[in-house]
Amino acid sequence: MQRVANLSEPGAKEAQAAAIEVAELSHVYQGREGKVPALEGISLDVVAGRFVVIVGPSGCGKTSLLMMMAGLRRPTTGTILCAGRPIDVPDPDRIGVVFQEASLFPWLTALENIEFPLSIRGAPRLERRGRADAMLNLVGLAGFGARYPHELSGGMKQRVSIARGLVQDPPVLLMDEPFAALDEQTRMTMGHELLRIWSQTNKTVVFVTHSLTEAVYLADEVLVMSPRPGRIIDRAEVTLPRPRTYEMMATDVFGRLRERIWQNIRKVT
Amino acid sequence: MVLAAWEWLPRWAVVNAALLPPLSDVLAMFVTILGRSQVQEAIAVTAGEVALAFMFAVPIGAGAGVLVAESQYFGQIFRPMLFYVFSIPKSIFLPMFILVFGIGFEQKVAYATFSTVFIVIMSAAAAVESVKADHVLVARSYGATRIQVVRRVYVPSMLPFLLETLRISMIFNLTGVMIAEMYASRSGIGQLIASWGENFQMPQLFAGVVLLAGAAIAFNETVRWLEAQCSAWRT
Repeated sequence: MQRVANLSEPGAKEAQAAAIEVAELSHVYQGREGKVPALEGISLDVVAGRFVVIVGPSGCGKTSLLMMMAGLRRPTTGTILCAGRPIDVPDPDRIGVVFQEASLFPWLTALENIEFPLSIRGAPRLERRGRADAMLNLVGLAGFGARYPHELSGGMKQRVSIARGLVQDPPVLLMDEPFAALDEQTRMTMGHELLRIWSQTNKTVVFVTHSLTEAVYLADEVLVMSPRPGRIIDRAEVTLPRPRTYEMMATDVFGRLRERIWQNIRKVT
Repeated sequence: MVLAAWEWLPRWAVVNAALLPPLSDVLAMFVTILGRSQVQEAIAVTAGEVALAFMFAVPIGAGAGVLVAESQYFGQIFRPMLFYVFSIPKSIFLPMFILVFGIGFEQKVAYATFSTVFIVIMSAAAAVESVKADHVLVARSYGATRIQVVRRVYVPSMLPFLLETLRISMIFNLTGVMIAEMYASRSGIGQLIASWGENFQMPQLFAGVVLLAGAAIAFNETVRWLEAQCSAWRT
């Protein structure tokens, strides 16, 4: 129904279809000294096609939240809908996940790593090769398919991870601090590359990071989380035009946004 | 160098040739004893014991190791116990094995299995724990079933460790069989070596050592070669 409304009013943001809807989510885990509330009263809508970044201090549960969106963990209460249907178990047709560094299988080549999700599904060999090759090209690693992860640089490994996340063509890509282990320059380059890939594929991206600069540079919208128990304490629209350029980082708009997010995090820590 | 020294030091009477016969004499004796039916039978007996004990110890130990590592329940109950037993020299149990099984074939197999199984359990548990949680998560996020996780993540992660386990457990296994044969036995290479030693038949004794060392090294190197093939991806 929402989609029909959406077609008639393409400009109205309120009516746009949500790729992910989180409602009244909370999570309590059993720690050594009793129950620990990790996430509290989280409600958010991720509009299809947008790049949403979640930032927050370490231990605030942002990775947990992402894992729940991926169907890898169950929240204590609340619901998560993806494309209108609940996510109870991982569903690679709807959601692709890109993990932190070192999540590639070291015993597979780059190409075999990218093929992995397809081979789990039992896709025929030829289709797998074709899709994986296309992804390898998309992330700018043509010609590196036969290399093993230990023969690739940190940035290249994460390109492979992104390709693996995209190979099944899911509408949503969840990214858990994918560039956290990279050096500053590589990190910026990878962010820029990610925006290029995103603009070519029209995915909805939810990206977790603790770098404020990275958050503002990449996002349409930044969600700020408080320390444990994690709540969403701010929601900042990034109005910078696209495509983003490195020069924008020196602008007032960029600086003010970054400052606002930082002040909000500082207030609660 | 070592081999040349082995040949020439006894010949030049630098060391007593009665204690260390020259290499060429030992090799000549090696060929001679291989021709003896008594030695051939001993080889067959020992090889049977080693093979059978290995076939018991490795699957039992690997199964128990996986259980200890994967199940919190079994892990908490058996892990401390395993550490205690692992630290005990197994040879002190040899008299009990003789009381229960006699001094024949079964006793050798039982004792060698016993002396090998603990190292297999420990290594298999370590192999399971070497599987990265992140890798399991990746596989699950792509919808892998339990069986797929085992086949596509656990097995390849563990393979190099498991081959190493095979190699090390064979060393324990051979030691177990040899000690049991040398301690009390009517047949087997260990028993022959022990009796050659007692009768001061040094060329035979050394020929026996060469035979056993050769077999052990051959097995070890074969598995090491396999390890190298399987772990090309390791840095």
